[in-house]
Amino acid sequence: MAQTQNGSTEQLMRPAPSPGIGARVLLWFGLSVAASVVFLAMFGPLLAPYDPREATGNVGVPPPSLAEWPGLILASVTGQLDAHPHWFGTDFYGLDVFSRVIAAARTDVTIALGGALLSLALGTSLGLIAGFFRNWATALLVRISDVLQSFPVFITAMVLVALAGRATGNIVLALCLVYTPIFLRLTRAEAMTQARRGYVEAARAAGAGPWYIAWRHVLPNSMVPALVQLSVTIGFAIILTAGLSFVGAGVQPPTPEWGLMISQGAGDLNYGWWWTSVFPGLAISITVFGFAVLGHALEARFR
Amino acid sequence: MIWRYVIQRLLIAAVQLLALAVLVFFIIRLMPADPVARLVGFNASPEAYAQSQQALGLDRPLLLQFSDFLGLTAGQPGGGLLQGSLGESWESNEPVADELIRSLPVTLELVSLSLLVSLLLAIPIGMYAAARPGGAVDKGAYVWGMFAGSQPDYWWGLLFILVFAFTLGVAPAPLGRHDPLLLPPDPVTGLILVDSVLRGRWDVLVSAFGYLALPVITMVFTVSGAIIKMIRQNTVRALSSDYVMFARACGLPQRTVALYALRTALTPTLTLVAVFFSVLLSAAVTVERVFSLNGVGQYSVRAILNFDYPAIQGAVLAVAFVSLMVYLLVDILHAVLDPRSRSH
Repeated sequence: MAQTQNGSTEQLMRPAPSPGIGARVLLWFGLSVAASVVFLAMFGPLLAPYDPREATGNVGVPPPSLAEWPGLILASVTGQLDAHPHWFGTDFYGLDVFSRVIAAARTDVTIALGGALLSLALGTSLGLIAGFFRNWATALLVRISDVLQSFPVFITAMVLVALAGRATGNIVLALCLVYTPIFLRLTRAEAMTQARRGYVEAARAAGAGPWYIAWRHVLPNSMVPALVQLSVTIGFAIILTAGLSFVGAGVQPPTPEWGLMISQGAGDLNYGWWWTSVFPGLAISITVFGFAVLGHALEARFR
Repeated sequence: MIWRYVIQRLLIAAVQLLALAVLVFFIIRLMPADPVARLVGFNASPEAYAQSQQALGLDRPLLLQFSDFLGLTAGQPGGGLLQGSLGESWESNEPVADELIRSLPVTLELVSLSLLVSLLLAIPIGMYAAARPGGAVDKGAYVWGMFAGSQPDYWWGLLFILVFAFTLGVAPAPLGRHDPLLLPPDPVTGLILVDSVLRGRWDVLVSAFGYLALPVITMVFTVSGAIIKMIRQNTVRALSSDYVMFARACGLPQRTVALYALRTALTPTLTLVAVFFSVLLSAAVTVERVFSLNGVGQYSVRAILNFDYPAIQGAVLAVAFVSLMVYLLVDILHAVLDPRSRSH
């Protein structure tokens, strides 16, 4: 709805060509961050030294200073310690921040991946249909998608999640609704170009039906822009998921979740407890940066 | 000619806002939330529940509620949307429009100041990067855009508070718009910087700048990378166009050619202003929370969490209205600068 009439927005939004920074370096950095985060999402809760939902008796313990870390790591590996050290300190309730940061990867990455993959599936299918079969119905579909895309993302997601109930499934659905238009638009543009290609005509001449051509020939050739966009979208989905719980419209405490931890830790700054908000934020920061770098690297390679 | 264009665009904007209002009205009522239970508490007796439901008008059929909202019901006190009323908040029982008039300027001030600072930084950097593609500035700006453009503003805001307010003590603690010990100037525009000048309250002006510094830095931090990237791109495009090549071939000095390119590069940048204004309006929701600014972002969070339907509707409409007006303003400027865009 908030669309400019001179139509140059989309042109402006096209990515700038990279000024020659090693695409290979970017790709490997992005891939390794993404792989570690997915690994943490799978095994994080098992690796956590403390139960991320259960309070220990220690309230507001600061993390050990950097000088103590090597000794502590050595001691904990050789099993000389009675209890695991609180690497990132403990919070107001005595919850171990390190365990929660690690366990939260599962919450955030599951929600973000779920939302991004769902919108990828929905967006590419609808985009394929809208780009390959062009009639009044698909024109209407594109119109609706444009209207959806013009809503302010954060407020839309907040309304959907808060009013539907702050459950994981609802957050995934809200992310899906918010991000589907992007994939739809990208795939549709590509499908429209592909539909004019010679191989489509050849397939038609060979007697293939339109749905078969769309699914078997046009879709695989039209998916690249959407797949490149996926990585960036996962990053934004993580920021949005954490942002929703930061303002109190996301997952509920005591679920380990980065945004929720930052939100609860924000008040602790007044007592000088920086560790309760800095570490979960660092986790988001690195994760999202990794996905952004991966997205840029893929973009440089495939566009 | 230009007036016809403006009136046409205003009419389109009005229709868009009305459509949005209708959409928001039905979407929030289709969701499985129970505002009555939220208001009376979950242990309330069925009578209290029914009474509250009646007071909110939620016991009436949906279409009647809709006609109340639009102001089509006869003899309705206060009128509805078509009479310019946004209803009363269920939480505070105050007119939503009054509350929005108080909170909107806070957000507008934050967003426009952030955008201004971002542009002042981004235009020279972006153009310099475009003039020397692959140079150090270009590479630095690319990495910066990749990094800062993908960061959670709410966390960086907290970090800035931790470092600049609590550790170094060079910025005030995030307690609102100005020193809480100072009496605010009587509102004229609601913009604290403007009001303190109009009322001659220089102490408030100085304090307000200090309190705005960190939120503005937070927003500039996350948004400037993307703006630099796009200005660079527009300038690259302008520099590679035929007329620049022709000017160069004519032997015009480099400086004159750069000025020609600047004019062409800045026209699409105008559109960017509108795009990023909406981006920042969205970012304001979390940034306002970090810095306890009572802007429209905080207002909408509160409204949504309290299931305060009239306030949600009002806040969404207000944000959409502001975005539409900025787009309109930018498009008018664009039409003045570039007559080709009027034909669309």
